[in-house]
Amino acid sequence: MTDITDIIRFRSGNAPLALRWPTQRFLVRVGLHVLVAVLALMVLLPFLWLVQMSLRPEDEIFSDAVLFTPTLENYRALWQGNFAGSFLNSLAVSSLSTGLSLLLGVPAAYVLTRWRFKGRARVALWILTTRMAPPIAFTIPFFLAYRVLGLQDTVWGLALIYMTFNLSIVIWFMQTFFAAIPESLEEAAWIDGCGVWRAFWLVTLPLAAPGLAATAVFCFIFSWSDFFYALILTRTNAMTAPVAIVNFLQYEGWEWGKIAASGTLVMLPVLIFTLLVRKYFVHGLTAGGLKD
Amino acid sequence: MPGTLSWEASRRRAYLTGLVPALVVLAVITVVPTLFLAGASLTPLSLVDPASLFDFSNPLRNYAELLHDPRFLGSLVMQLQLSALTVTLQLAVGLGLALLLNVRSSFFEAIRTVFLIPMVLPPIVVALIWKIIYTPDVSPLHRFLDFVGLPADSFITSASTALLAVAVADTWQWFPFTMLMILATLQMIPNEPLEAAKIDGANHWQTFRYIIFAYIRPALIVSGLFRLIDSFKAFPLIYVLTDGGPGSATEVTNYYAFVQAFNFSYWGYASAIAIVLLTGVFTLSWAAGRLGWNGDEGE
Amino acid sequence: MFQTRNFSRRRVLQGAGLLVGGLLLPGKAPAQGGAKRLAGVTLNVSTFSAPFPKILIKWLPEFEQLTGAKVVYDTPSFPVYNQRADLELSTGGSAYDVVNVTFIYSSRWINAGWLTPLDDFIRDPNKTPADWDVDDFLPGLRAPETGKDGKLYGIPWSVDTFISAAARFDLFKDAGLGFPDTTDDLFDTLKATHGKDKVAGFVTDNHYGWSFVPFLQAFGGNVFRNPPDDLTPVLDTPEAIAAAEYFARIVKDFGPNGAISYTPDQVVKALQSGRVNYSAIGQTYLAQLGDSGSKVAGTSAFGLAPRGPAGRFPGVAVHGLGIPAASKNKEAAWTFIQWALSKQNTRRALVEENLASPTRRSDFESPEFKTSSTINGYDIAGIVRESIDISAKGGYMKYRTVPVYPQVDQQLNKAIANIASGQLSARQAMEQAQAGSIAELKRAGVAL
Repeated sequence: MTDITDIIRFRSGNAPLALRWPTQRFLVRVGLHVLVAVLALMVLLPFLWLVQMSLRPEDEIFSDAVLFTPTLENYRALWQGNFAGSFLNSLAVSSLSTGLSLLLGVPAAYVLTRWRFKGRARVALWILTTRMAPPIAFTIPFFLAYRVLGLQDTVWGLALIYMTFNLSIVIWFMQTFFAAIPESLEEAAWIDGCGVWRAFWLVTLPLAAPGLAATAVFCFIFSWSDFFYALILTRTNAMTAPVAIVNFLQYEGWEWGKIAASGTLVMLPVLIFTLLVRKYFVHGLTAGGLKD
Repeated sequence: MPGTLSWEASRRRAYLTGLVPALVVLAVITVVPTLFLAGASLTPLSLVDPASLFDFSNPLRNYAELLHDPRFLGSLVMQLQLSALTVTLQLAVGLGLALLLNVRSSFFEAIRTVFLIPMVLPPIVVALIWKIIYTPDVSPLHRFLDFVGLPADSFITSASTALLAVAVADTWQWFPFTMLMILATLQMIPNEPLEAAKIDGANHWQTFRYIIFAYIRPALIVSGLFRLIDSFKAFPLIYVLTDGGPGSATEVTNYYAFVQAFNFSYWGYASAIAIVLLTGVFTLSWAAGRLGWNGDEGE
Repeated sequence: MFQTRNFSRRRVLQGAGLLVGGLLLPGKAPAQGGAKRLAGVTLNVSTFSAPFPKILIKWLPEFEQLTGAKVVYDTPSFPVYNQRADLELSTGGSAYDVVNVTFIYSSRWINAGWLTPLDDFIRDPNKTPADWDVDDFLPGLRAPETGKDGKLYGIPWSVDTFISAAARFDLFKDAGLGFPDTTDDLFDTLKATHGKDKVAGFVTDNHYGWSFVPFLQAFGGNVFRNPPDDLTPVLDTPEAIAAAEYFARIVKDFGPNGAISYTPDQVVKALQSGRVNYSAIGQTYLAQLGDSGSKVAGTSAFGLAPRGPAGRFPGVAVHGLGIPAASKNKEAAWTFIQWALSKQNTRRALVEENLASPTRRSDFESPEFKTSSTINGYDIAGIVRESIDISAKGGYMKYRTVPVYPQVDQQLNKAIANIASGQLSARQAMEQAQAGSIAELKRAGVAL
């Protein structure tokens, strides 16, 4: 198994490659810095354009002027409309789905790490595969079932379908965290008379707490970012912020200022959370680790 | 302390209590819908006529029709083009930047974080950002092109550029993923072979081709497969940027299934399309598993 | 809450209050602060985004004050609204209490039993006062909202009539040209003026299943052979191909950058800001050239839809407010519809908000409408009336209300986009649309 923490911390274990190449070390170094900085700016430009647009006064949206007096008018207008409600819905759905996924997924991940039963690899792979399925495959049956069950356009219904991806995220992420905790600690607790789950609660889980927090954040971000399920399974009551953005795009006569402001608001929590769990990022991506 | 056997048994029971609920829920929310979908794909299901749910009189009708539906066949071609385009672009950009950023300094580590931003944005916000870039009225890109005397037609309404425009937007969001995967692998390359190559007088290209590339090949394959699988789910970008157009120039299979189900309520037919997609994705996931992205195979 | 309102708001309320309170509470005194019969009810209303819904949303607080109901009014864009409403109705959902009965879906929705017949509400004097006068809604507009059973399923709130406008008519005049009357005139005019003063020549709604058909028919083509009896599509006739070729060409050659992505809202914005000159779409949109935010109110000119070799075929689209069969708040929903389309409110929309799509005869013939719909000296009310007359004679709008039209509509959208974006020739695109439409009709179980 790859030593995940190495990747997580972006630790450059080796002397940097570029600098080992012989010619004109100093100039290369400076050139490299400039090049990278320019590239970073180019990558960021589309994103920054959205943010500046959200701060432009309405009559300046189409103007070519680079400088303008920033205004929060667009945000104010958003908050007075129905956008706040959809923001709260997003918050509720994401929290609920994250909570439920942790509740079910964390014990399962623990068992999958500790219990070497036959077919374990198969179960683990199946769990990961569910995450690969295109959402349209789940949406059709869920849509039809929700009509009958009355879960259409409800926060609970949406939180439930988000578990189709969140549960497998929890199980996979947490497995690597649990694997990093020595079994001997639990065994010591067992000898002291603790049951499996008591030992888990008292010994293992506290040690895995940072991983747990990172996993929760990932679940939250994935739920927060979903557009497809929310588009189809909500109407008015449970409409989430990403769907509300599209409403601005399509319904409100192309008010670019508001569109940009709603986009900025929706990405804000995600950016903040990402900074919080930055060091677990690669871990999350490789979901189970590359094979050595 | 309990005897070994009963301790083993109780431990086993405890493990089962931990594992089974998650598996049951996961089965209910993934396996059951998939089975339903497979069943529905064999019927002419339409909600106007509830009895159609049990009409298995001609189970293969939807699949037979798919073979003769030019829009569906066209969507497959579109899907393959989009997938090939996005995966190639993302691998190329990701690899280039990873090689560039593989330097240990606080500046470069800070810059890496900047490159991560597109990837964490909600896809709908990414779609929005690119809608602005591709809408001539408000686009900084079009303004720039006009300024340098190279005015261009709107990229999303021209058939020759629409798919590329979608692929570029998708690449902007996802190159950080391939970049990170490759970067992580680059940092695990031991010193010795590089030193040896240097002593043997290998040039940059040779060092890359024979040493570095050998190390990052698995990462390239795995991240490529990940992106390939994800490319079958492309939705928000197409929904916001082109709505499948102009004409059908960006109507990929996933989008076509969405239109058939949620615009026209041809549930049976849409289910058949979804099953085709699902089969494709599972085949790829299986291949990905074989090629070693999950770390559990070695047991 | 009532007491906290300022004077002017209260004055407005009094008029409406007398009306609604009176009809809601027969035998009781007109609405007092406490007489909120619908307190605790949440009404979900959805129509597509258009000028009248925007006015209603502005007035919602009045309705809420009068009745105590809370109204959630959702206004998606036209295609999104239709998709959602169709889905909701077809699955018997109760998410909406009041919906727009979209013209092209009216037959599908009404005859499938997805809507509530309104006759019982209208006839019941406890629910509707006599002076509400359903017969005041023009008969031609009630017809598409009427089911095969003869019952009325929607109250018309909008009639969108296909007319034409030149936002920068001064550019036409500078070129020595008048307002184009025929499709040939139009082509020559656009050719002579496109790009002058950085103004593009032509723009239209990219819902081509609506905006292209008047041209299709003007060239002698049609959508179906003889709707509603013979639904064989006739999209690949020489006339249809010629029409598609002509239309896609003016979209492409004389349009703004990205013309085929323009929705009605964008069309209006482009015309109002003077970035594009000419359009032929519904008067509800074109009348907005006279709005206060418009830069072209002083240079606009209006006329009938252009005439082609086969004649003039202005389209007319009627939209009504209806109640889904599965709604749990039908009475409250009716109260809302009645309030929204009361004589007082429809007149007020004309007078205060310059609404250009009246559906009541009394509004149509009112001097207020004539005044409010005169822009830069052009009598839009007159142009609309003439268009409706022309349309009523031919009965050729029947193609739009057949149940499978939505699918064919999308085929037309794609066909024009395919030609205008240079992917297919007009012949290829229309043959594809023909084949696609036949396949769609078969999938929907229509015998050809």
